[in-house]
Order: sequence, then C-alpha cells, then structure tokens
Amino acid sequence: MYGETANKLVQNAKRIQSLPHLPPYASDLSRTIIREVRDLDRDVANILAPYGSSFNPSADPSTACALLVNHLCMRRNKRCLLAYHKVRAQKLESYCWEGVDALEQSGSGASGEGGMGSKKEESSLSPEEEEYVRQYSDLLAAYKGQWTDIDLTGSLEPPRDLFIDVRVLKDAGEIQTEYGSITLTKNSQFYVRHGDVERLIAQRYLQRLS
Amino acid sequence: MDIDDLLAEVVVDATPRETRDLHELTRSWVAERVAPELLPWPADLMDRVLERIRKQIELVEDQTGNMDPKTNFELIIIQTELERFKFLVRSLLRARIKKIDAHPLHVQALHAASLNTPQPLFSPSEHQYLTSHQTLLSTHYSSSFLGQFPVSLQRLDDTTGGISMIDKPDEDKAVFARALRDIGDIFVEGTDRRFEMKRGDVWVVRWSAIRQWVVGAGTGDVELI
Repeated sequence: MYGETANKLVQNAKRIQSLPHLPPYASDLSRTIIREVRDLDRDVANILAPYGSSFNPSADPSTACALLVNHLCMRRNKRCLLAYHKVRAQKLESYCWEGVDALEQSGSGASGEGGMGSKKEESSLSPEEEEYVRQYSDLLAAYKGQWTDIDLTGSLEPPRDLFIDVRVLKDAGEIQTEYGSITLTKNSQFYVRHGDVERLIAQRYLQRLS
Repeated sequence: MDIDDLLAEVVVDATPRETRDLHELTRSWVAERVAPELLPWPADLMDRVLERIRKQIELVEDQTGNMDPKTNFELIIIQTELERFKFLVRSLLRARIKKIDAHPLHVQALHAASLNTPQPLFSPSEHQYLTSHQTLLSTHYSSSFLGQFPVSLQRLDDTTGGISMIDKPDEDKAVFARALRDIGDIFVEGTDRRFEMKRGDVWVVRWSAIRQWVVGAGTGDVELI
C-alpha cells in the first residue's frame, strides 16, 4: 500500500535502462498498482462523502491530511507507471531505429530480416506494446520516407572512406550495387562502397575490417 | 564599424554560395548538437542543401558505368563529398528528433508560439512526426494503464500538484561559445556576473545567457563549438 509496489516498478525500469535486451513486461506489478490507485480513489470518495461539497480543510486538519496522503500516493503511482512504460517504449523505439525488429523476434518471422537476437524476447512485450511497436515503425517509415536521399537510419559515425573492406559472416545472397552485383558468400572478403553495405553491417551479415 | 568588419564582409561576398552553405550547415549541426534547446528549423538552408544533394545523386547515377578513369576518379570525389553531406544532414535531423522526443509537450507549445514568426521551430514533417508520436504514446499509456485510472488523473499535461508533467530542457546548461562579432556586455541571469565578449573570444557560459546571439536561434553573432 502507499506506493511500495510502485517503487519496485521504478527499480525495474532503472534496471531496463542498462540491460541490452528488454525483460518481460511486469504485468502483475502494474496490475497491483492500478488496483491500489482505484482503492485509494475509493477511499478519498468515502472520506469526502459525508461532507458533501462543503469540505473545509482548515476545520478538519486530520481528514485533510489523510486526503492529501492518498492523493499524493495516487499521483506518485501514476508517475511511476508512466516512467516504467516510457522507459520500455524508448527501448522499443531504439529497436525500431536500429532496424532490429522487436516483433519479428517473437516468432512471427516472415521476412528474412529476423533471425538475430534471442528467442527470450518472445513474450516480453505486452499486447499493447506490440501494437505500439507496430505503429511506431509505420510512423518511422513514413517520416523516413520523406528523406530518402539521406537514409535517416544510417550510421551516425562520420564517414571517412567511400570504400571499405568487409568480411562476410553469414551468407547474404546477391546484392546490387552501382558497380554491378556481388554475391556475398560466407568467409569471403570484398572492397565495397560503404553506403551499399551499411544495412548489412548493422544486421551483422558483414563485418567491417579496419 | 572598423576595418575588420569591412574586410569580413568582402570575404563573405567573395566565397561562393555553396561554400557558405556548407559552413552554415556545419554551424547549425554543431549548434543543434550542443544547445540544450531545440533550435528553429533552418528551412531555406535545408532546401538548398537537399536540392544540391539530389542533383549530385542524379549526376552520380548518370555517370556510373562510365569507365573512363578520369571521370571515374571525379565520381569518387563527388560521392565522398556526398556521403559527408548526407552525414551532416542525417546527424542534424537525428539530433532534432532526439530533442523532440525528449520534451514533446514543451517543444510543441514553443512551436505553436513560433508559428507566426519568420522561423517556425519545426519543419512540417517534424511536426507531423511529433503529433503522431504523441498520439501513439498516449494511446499506448491509456490502453496499458491510464484508462483504468480515476478520470481526474488521466491527463498527461497536468501542471497542478506541485510537479509539472511537462518536462523542460535545462536552459542553464553550460555551452562553449565563440563570438563571431563584438557583442558587448553579457549579463548572466541569476548571478551578478557580467562580462564583455569580443570577436574571437571563446567562453564557457550558460545557454540562457547567450541564446539571443547564437547562430540559428538568434542574431548569429555567436557560434557554438
């Protein structure tokens, strides 16, 4: 009662920030907190009921104090829940930006983009979060689409060389470049244009040799 | 106005538009990454730069396949330059998006206030992104837990109860700034510090104290470094 469970949730959120993957959604905790808020709200209503609409805090300080505590607890719980969901949402957004598909990892894997990352994340999203990821990637794609020349999700490292040496870690099939097509077979090495293979490096098909 | 200013103006006029645009772009990129606040969208500059990038890409596409070693070499230079331009623009846009996502409600209010000024805070597409993202987030919150809350607690932009829900960037963050022109006395609000900033001077100073002169946000007499 009074914000104890919310504290656990915040600790959980703090942990998520430093983890490389997303731990399962704490549905039990958040359900308990929501219940607590509803209980507190009912309490407030019960306390206020005999007064009607003419409650005067200075005439009855002890009741006013009880109300204040209840109220602050509700607000605190709300902040904690918001913080927890925000941290998770940010994590999911960063997955979208990096091109790691959080949904794809959960088994629906239709296209060839998935395959990396662990199966562990299969059930770690709540249904609402799955929906959120889906819509956010649509949004991101729409925003990116206005900047086709720039490739917004590209590398944020300043480019040094136009061409780089890469080694193929996994078979990636054939890719089209401006200089013809290259077949990427495992363990072979190529000298290619950085922009052409950036995505593949991000998806760990290729390794950059420096 | 002394001889330095006159000379500076002559130099500016002598450099071609392209070079000046590059300088401007680099400056706004650095400023955007260093300043704690979102700076106004440099619409004209971006239009020119994007137009040029598009032209260069077309040129590169036209010329590939040409096996003449000389054009081939030129092409490599063009492409390298192109990659660098693309990096600048990309990094600038990403820095902006990061700030927009960090303080969505705050920047939205600022944008609404800046709509009638010559330089709005967002580009149209950024505004679109922000609004859809906010809608997504609030739907997500309310379907996850907020919907089951008492109605009085469902708002996301509540400013009552002692703590405002609208988060703001730290405007007193220190930044490194170099004066491009003489500015005169600068007064740091909240302290009794006052100092004079001359052309070429580099200072570490609170953002809020020099904001009005910074490139992109104010008169353009100070650049962030």
